[in-house]
Amino acid sequence: MAFIKLNDLEVEVEDGTNVVEAARLHGIEVPHYCYHPGLSRPANCRMCLVEPHVFFPPAGAIVPDRQLATGCTTVLRTAPPNRKLDGKYDFIVYTDSPRVKKAREDILEFLLVHHPLDCPVCDQAGECDLQDFTYRHGHDKSRYLEVKNVPPKKDLGPDVLLYSTRCIVCTRCIRFCQEVSGSNELGLIHRGSHDEIDIPRSHDGMPLQLLDNKLAGNVVDICPVGALISKDFLFKSRPWFMKQEKSVCAGCSVGCNITVEYKEDGVYRLKPRFHEEINQHWMCDDGRLGYGYVNSDDRLQLPMKRVDGEFQPTHWADALTQITEKLSEADAEKVVVIGSAQGTNEDNYVLQQFAHEVLKTEHLGLFGALPGEEHTFPQFTIEADKNPNTAGARKMLSNGTPVLEGEALWKKVSEADIVYLVSGAPERSLEAEEKAVLESVDFLIVQDVLPSEVTALADVVLPGTTFAEKDGTFTNSKGWVQRIRKTVDAPGEARIDWEIIQQLARQLGGEMNYHFAGEISLAISENVSGYAEATHQNIGDSGVKLAE
Amino acid sequence: MSEELIQIQNTFRFTEENQREFDALIGHYPVKEAAMLPTLHLAQKQAGYVSPAVMTYVAALLEVPLMKVKDVVTFYPMFFEEPVGEYVIRVCHTLPCALRDCKGVLAHLKAKLGTDVASETDLGKGTTPDGKFTLMKVECLASCDVAPVIMVNDDLYKNLTPEKVDEILDNL
Amino acid sequence: MVEEKRILYEHLDVPEIHTFDVFRQHDGYACFEKAVADYQPDDIAKMVMDSGLKGRGGAGFSTGLKWSFVPKDIKPCYLCCNADESEPGTFSNRYVLEKNPHLLIEGILICCYAMGIETTYVYIRGEFTLGKKRLDAAIKAAYANGYLGKNIRGTGLNVDIYTHPGAGAYICGEETGLIESLEGKRGQPRNKPPFPAVEGVFRKPTVVQNVETLCNLPFIVGNGVEWYTKMGPTYGDARFDPPKPDPNTGTKLYCISGDVNKPGVYELELGLTCAELIEVAGGLRGEQVKAVIPGGSSAPILTHYELDTRLDFTSLTLAKSMLGSGGIIVMNETRNIVDCLLNIMKFYAHESCGQCTPCRWGTPWVRDIVQRIADGNGRKSTITRPKFGIAENGRWGDTGETEDIYEDLDLLESVANNIANVDTMTWNTICVFGIAVSWPAVSYMRKFRPEFEATIREGKLTTLSVEEATVPPEENYAYQQRIVPRELE
Repeated sequence: MAFIKLNDLEVEVEDGTNVVEAARLHGIEVPHYCYHPGLSRPANCRMCLVEPHVFFPPAGAIVPDRQLATGCTTVLRTAPPNRKLDGKYDFIVYTDSPRVKKAREDILEFLLVHHPLDCPVCDQAGECDLQDFTYRHGHDKSRYLEVKNVPPKKDLGPDVLLYSTRCIVCTRCIRFCQEVSGSNELGLIHRGSHDEIDIPRSHDGMPLQLLDNKLAGNVVDICPVGALISKDFLFKSRPWFMKQEKSVCAGCSVGCNITVEYKEDGVYRLKPRFHEEINQHWMCDDGRLGYGYVNSDDRLQLPMKRVDGEFQPTHWADALTQITEKLSEADAEKVVVIGSAQGTNEDNYVLQQFAHEVLKTEHLGLFGALPGEEHTFPQFTIEADKNPNTAGARKMLSNGTPVLEGEALWKKVSEADIVYLVSGAPERSLEAEEKAVLESVDFLIVQDVLPSEVTALADVVLPGTTFAEKDGTFTNSKGWVQRIRKTVDAPGEARIDWEIIQQLARQLGGEMNYHFAGEISLAISENVSGYAEATHQNIGDSGVKLAE
Repeated sequence: MSEELIQIQNTFRFTEENQREFDALIGHYPVKEAAMLPTLHLAQKQAGYVSPAVMTYVAALLEVPLMKVKDVVTFYPMFFEEPVGEYVIRVCHTLPCALRDCKGVLAHLKAKLGTDVASETDLGKGTTPDGKFTLMKVECLASCDVAPVIMVNDDLYKNLTPEKVDEILDNL
Repeated sequence: MVEEKRILYEHLDVPEIHTFDVFRQHDGYACFEKAVADYQPDDIAKMVMDSGLKGRGGAGFSTGLKWSFVPKDIKPCYLCCNADESEPGTFSNRYVLEKNPHLLIEGILICCYAMGIETTYVYIRGEFTLGKKRLDAAIKAAYANGYLGKNIRGTGLNVDIYTHPGAGAYICGEETGLIESLEGKRGQPRNKPPFPAVEGVFRKPTVVQNVETLCNLPFIVGNGVEWYTKMGPTYGDARFDPPKPDPNTGTKLYCISGDVNKPGVYELELGLTCAELIEVAGGLRGEQVKAVIPGGSSAPILTHYELDTRLDFTSLTLAKSMLGSGGIIVMNETRNIVDCLLNIMKFYAHESCGQCTPCRWGTPWVRDIVQRIADGNGRKSTITRPKFGIAENGRWGDTGETEDIYEDLDLLESVANNIANVDTMTWNTICVFGIAVSWPAVSYMRKFRPEFEATIREGKLTTLSVEEATVPPEENYAYQQRIVPRELE
């Protein structure tokens, strides 16, 4: 640990921390643009200038360095005993001296020289570093009288637009494409004040390569100003009108930490949230843009039952009564209950309890989205398993008995009379054999969020909820148990999955009395091996890693 | 809304002689990327200008992303992204030449060639319609003692006056 | 009249000296052979340190000291020869490359021997086509005669020299910009530290030296340190007690251009005055010296009151200017300083690499302000303010008079100082390009303020007489502050 003097504070920081991070840890803001903790540090914005002391002062003297230094590249380390400043400090640095404040004002003035005043129509307004830092550290008026540069607006790729006029050339996006995605589509063109970010183009502006990789959306997040804009979010909402909730991406088994931004009428966007060991600062575009089904108009909103081969909307009491009648008459050996790798641990635990304690069946299966392709980048991996909770669901369902998957599952289903399938995988398609097997089932209950080939075969369809509409936990492929949180309300009469199961259990005479997901997690922590620590309180925002 | 990618026509290849020169060149550096500037010079010498086809070829040759080549080509003013005239006339207009009336030389050249001065993003502006000359201003050519100077392709002409300019152009 | 002292340029005018045979006939490579035969590598490094040789590229940093920073245990180590001569007013390297390239090769060999370097890159300006051709031919001849390649002349020394053409970017003359450019990227300077001596080209220790610096090495080795240190003044650094020796030894290739009768390169001992140099260069073309730029266009300007300033590293630094690359540009009474500044600012605005914020957007802004003033659209306020200067008590302060406010001149000074502050010598930029912009901008404006004010008042470029245009020494705070260094006995 290095003992440093930071303004008038005496603080200890880890060796190797830079001044920007050290200050942030102690509640001091050092404004910066080009510096991003996940990328290399070119120190080109010059915004984070701080006033350090000379590294090797004459013996006994304490002298401020003549030059200001960039906080992002000034790394704090323990000094050897004979190099301590004032006998005790490893380093002395000021982030609020008059020189530093003057330098910040000057740099901000330069940054705003060519920046347009189009905040009223800029998507970034409200979450813009340039706005914030100008408000806190800048001048209130411009002395610039000359003509502004007006480089053209550019289309970079399927999801990203570049408003070049707003760009401050911090090069975060370029470094992202070099270091994290390794795809190198972005670069600078021209020189000096005509610098522009661009993709490779011919001289007349025709693109030779597009910003088209599965991590491209991250450049929009890391852009400190409104230069890089997501086409998906363009002109949709002001950031301050949206509410935010910490959650986990349901797109694949990586389990990227995200922030869900939503309003009453739906989810507006997903943004990655820092987690050191899972996704760092990033998420993939499949996850980022994959929330569309949550807001879909096609969502199942009412329970439906099949009458003369046609679906008819019905009400919950009718649907549940019909199911309980069938189930109470059934032979337990001929009932198969299938949980979902898309569902939360809580959903699957309640389902398992329902199967064992109420239905007394041993036939529990696991179902989920079809596997996709694995994509590997220098600093990021998109996994092939497109379910967020395969590991967790398997563990929850297998309490005592092995879980049926793949061949074994379909074999068991083909022998069953009644199948209760909790799917939750949006738009899951079926193979011909799978379809044939499901068709042969006498009474198929499907609980899902969207109409799909699976729901088309059902006798009763129950509308469930997506990851954005319920609380719970997911366990990712590396054994991290993480929280998802309710954001928007479920559409129509759709209900939270475990509540539906609990209702069925009660109607069949079972004793189940959970009031909220946290209660189920307590039951999980008591009854499922390895999950003792995984209560909602412990998990918090950053998750709990299960013991190997 | 996404734009279509353009297909690169007429693929570029080094001539055998240039290929030999390139092979010698690449051995000078521990990393291939370092050969970027000499390779681009070589390619430009052969093709006349750095077209998308040249950029793609050089990128493949040096095993670097295409954008890095574009990056470098746009940074350095000696690389042209569009066709230039047979003779590229570079007129120095920095202070020592300005003190020796380079403006007169430039004005004379403009009048004589009947063309404007090329800008870095629009070389066509400074190219004569017959494609023979491209007139451009450059910064100091490090020959301030013999100012004003111009460079015509690789040759430097010193102590210029409008009469001397006429002579040079006539002899080309 | 100061005599020329031709050492580096001694054989420059010998016909065909660029060929190996002629160069050998004039004792070529003898100094290298002496170095290898008589000295250990560490001896050479010590000789260079003792000779007080300062880098001739611009910064004037001690060459021996720079070499001492190179870690001995990290190999390979590279030598980059900076032949990207682009500072306006400088053209001495061009002559070396075109006329006497073998001298450079000899210097490189000595440096490589001293530092244990096996690979050298000569980063040569893209526009130097003849220079590159001659150097390439000389390298080829040196290989053919066994002065380059493996086991040179049976000494076991291996040295390869490669030329690397630039492509017209001024910033590649900055040592880390040069390294980036050599690596095949945009020539954007790196953050320092680490300095190139520790982590340079290909992330290995690198010595970056100017052509002229390397050309000095054969003579230091050949004639000895004592001979070398006799040339040029050695000052005493008065901040130390007893004064620390501050050598300005050797000769300098002074490039003089502009309004003199015989512009060209003159090799002279360091330490002659500005007036003497103009004399050497055939005298002034015109009636009266209006201004002199002493070290390439980025150096602060000298007025006709300052012609007694000695042209060496220390004297010019203490006179708040710099020797830089030794490119002296003389302007006579017909020149308009606003117009000259505009020309220089256009150069810098064009050549800014655009990497860091203050320079990228500050430099064109400064150019635009100067352009506006030159166009006659400079702003002058209708109100006045108290005038500061030498007050009644003989000290700097409020004089009790009032002065006009020229808003654009204040803006020019403020913006330039925000890129790099010339008073405190601190810069907010990554490299020293920032100070190279604000130095001329601020110094021209401060020293020739009446001409700027007249231009704004008249609404068009107005050239005043020399006396009228120049701020007199008694009103020039910087002039009052200047220090004339004293030579050590």
